Amino acid sequence: MELNHTNSIGRQNELPVLEYEGLTPAENMELRQGGVVLNSLEVIKGWARSNSMWPLTFGLACCAIEMMATGAARYDLDRFGIIFRASPRQSDVMIVAGTVTKKMAPLLRRLYDQMAEPKWVIAMGVCATAGGPYVKSYSVLRGVDQVVPVDVYIPGCPPSPPALLYGLNMLQEKIRMEARGKKVTQA
Amino acid sequence: MFGFLKGLGVTISQLPKKKVTLMYPDEKPEWPERFRGVHRFIPELCTVCNQCARICPTSCISLSGARDENRKLRIETYDINSDICILCSLCTEVCPTEAILMSDTFENASYVRDDLYLDMHWLYNNELEYERRHPDRAIPETDVQKKAGD
Repeated sequence: MELNHTNSIGRQNELPVLEYEGLTPAENMELRQGGVVLNSLEVIKGWARSNSMWPLTFGLACCAIEMMATGAARYDLDRFGIIFRASPRQSDVMIVAGTVTKKMAPLLRRLYDQMAEPKWVIAMGVCATAGGPYVKSYSVLRGVDQVVPVDVYIPGCPPSPPALLYGLNMLQEKIRMEARGKKVTQA
Repeated sequence: MFGFLKGLGVTISQLPKKKVTLMYPDEKPEWPERFRGVHRFIPELCTVCNQCARICPTSCISLSGARDENRKLRIETYDINSDICILCSLCTEVCPTEAILMSDTFENASYVRDDLYLDMHWLYNNELEYERRHPDRAIPETDVQKKAGD
């Protein structure tokens, strides 16, 4: 098969520009010119990441009780490879379970910054989503998305263990979709 | 050695017992009748009395209505901001016509916060879904017409 090399510059502008992490810009450029797509590797990475999401044990209020119940025998988070870690350095997901006060917000941000990339955040319950019953309070943050980027919001006060599992499955779906290069906005 | 056998005895005695894990995404949980999930709403029954919006501790309900040709109040918009709704069920308790009720819908996580703003159509669809899931708990048609009639 004969390739039309003169047209390669025009084709580059048409194709979506894929930047692979872990490669230098020169290597990315090389791959783009060669027409090599590493998407299968990305998909494998997404599969691996979505099946071993290790959340940071970060319970702030009553939602933490439901989070613990989800980890226990009845709903069993280990089925999805979700194992609670005690250190932000070892975690991928931060499940913000409970009310975030304005005093706690900088600490939450620090814990998020200490987590290794790639990292995701789940806002569990209405307190973490928007302040919940404390929306009129002087000391509570109106939603944890004011300090960290949130991937999945789970409403409920507190959300039942299946609702949390549904949210975690949505996050797994999001990781797999983003690995395939799609943007996730709607379920 | 004795402690080892004792511990193993506990483990073995658990083996023939029934499995406790609910395989959630494949098998759905059975909620009791009074489970407080997200709301369901029946627009024909609503008399626009505004009591639900006034009792709501987080003011997450907003509604509006207008008088129709018979000078009866009809609901026009009914929105629940489930961002901040704490599912306390006070709105269902004060509702004189039981137009707003709790359902057992719990799968409402979302990627964006805007999806959590539920309008009247979503809530009415939730009612239809609830009736489809629980035909025995559905409100009889005659009752709806009678309550809407007075």
